[in-house]
Amino acid sequence: MLRSCAKLLRTLGAVRGPPGGRRLPGSEPRPALRLFSSEEVILRDYSVPNPSWNKDLRLLFDQFMKKCEDSSWKRLPSYKRIPAEKIQDFKTHLLDPKLMKEEQMSQTQLFTRSFDDGLGFEYVMFYSDVEKRMVCLFQGGPYLEGPPGFVHGGAIATMIDTTIGMCALMAGGVVVTANLNINYKRPIPLCSAVMINSQLDKVEGRKFFVSCNVQSADEKTLYSEATSIFIKPNPAKSLT
Amino acid sequence: MIRRGFQVAARLGHHRGLLGDPLILIFPAQFSRFLPEKTDLKDDALPDASWCLDMLSLDQEFLEKTKSSGWIKLPSFKGKTQPNGAVSGPCPPFSGCDTAHLSPDKGDCRIFTRCIQVEGQGFEYVIFFQPSKKKSVCLFQPGPYLEGPPGFTHGGSLAAMMDETFSKTAFLAGEGLFTLSFNIRFKNLIPMSSLVVMDIEVEKIEDQKLYMSCIAHSRDQQFTPTHPSLAGVFLQLQLEEESPQ
Repeated sequence: MLRSCAKLLRTLGAVRGPPGGRRLPGSEPRPALRLFSSEEVILRDYSVPNPSWNKDLRLLFDQFMKKCEDSSWKRLPSYKRIPAEKIQDFKTHLLDPKLMKEEQMSQTQLFTRSFDDGLGFEYVMFYSDVEKRMVCLFQGGPYLEGPPGFVHGGAIATMIDTTIGMCALMAGGVVVTANLNINYKRPIPLCSAVMINSQLDKVEGRKFFVSCNVQSADEKTLYSEATSIFIKPNPAKSLT
Repeated sequence: MIRRGFQVAARLGHHRGLLGDPLILIFPAQFSRFLPEKTDLKDDALPDASWCLDMLSLDQEFLEKTKSSGWIKLPSFKGKTQPNGAVSGPCPPFSGCDTAHLSPDKGDCRIFTRCIQVEGQGFEYVIFFQPSKKKSVCLFQPGPYLEGPPGFTHGGSLAAMMDETFSKTAFLAGEGLFTLSFNIRFKNLIPMSSLVVMDIEVEKIEDQKLYMSCIAHSRDQQFTPTHPSLAGVFLQLQLEEESPQ
């Protein structure tokens, strides 16, 4: 209980604290601080700029927000936990309910949102239904290190999987990754902004073929390329 | 109390295994990077209260092998050990990270698979390496902060664990440094907090590239709820001589 309170206060500090900074440990909380319920903390939308976003990321964000004005593109909100109705959706489509442990469910959180601001995955996704394209603007923080000063190959794989997964999901509903193939061309420096451009290539029955590339903010450097296959599970067959 | 005894015994077993291992003489440069003079850093690859029984017993099994059959346990120091064994620290200036406003223990870079330091919540893992056969085994238990589909592990976290094990193996087997390409086939979902055993082999080394394969499965291989297989290719680069630390 105490731990979750401390966590709440830290998150509040990030949202309401001085710009670009965290409250120093031991400092007095601001008098206007209300104690939010844990529900509201979980419902914080992480896909909006925060002080850790660098200039390139903010510029790209503004560019894409402009594209949203005529509704051809839309920004996807992103939460620490998948909302309850989506969990229900997933359960009915995929699972053997005996394997779902209720207590574990309440402690879990989405991997890409398990970090304090600026330390892990900072990202926002925009989707175009017309073009069947999902674009993810991503900035990898210091806790994603692989080779010194660069983003870990696995962190890149995580963001690619997340982005192309969302692309497949928008097109086909609940899907799971079957195959993921990544070619790394250049290492991505930590804390730099990149664009993950993904595209639904084709659909064959229950298979969704999605590809993507990862580029620098100015589109001059190609960091990686990936192809993948997602599968819409057969409701009659268990996935586990 | 018993667990602490366990941990102490495990640590002693680890050191004895290394000191008594003749194979360490063959790869002194690579291994010395993993065994810094200062050991006041906490080794994250030791059992803790979150490890499930399967993981504890397999860990013991492999620790026995470090004494008898030439296996080596790779320590992992407080999230800071690089694939090449060097210890990470403050972010390099070229990276553009603005961590000045964070307190020192939060502002440093961390190796991704040790990013979540809360016991049992993130990546709990230990890697064992067999130099003569160029094989590794990784015992991996994904914690609740690695969720993807509700109740199951994020595919990306599994990819990250594989990439990390590949990179350590590539370095020890042939000085491999960067991932070139990576192909993963997911067969089943992995429930949260279950044990995943990854068997990795170096298939071949040619043209400055290391080709490796991996199979991730549950402990009892007959029932395989988890069976992604993965092939990784690493780039082999000549390392510059580091100045003594």
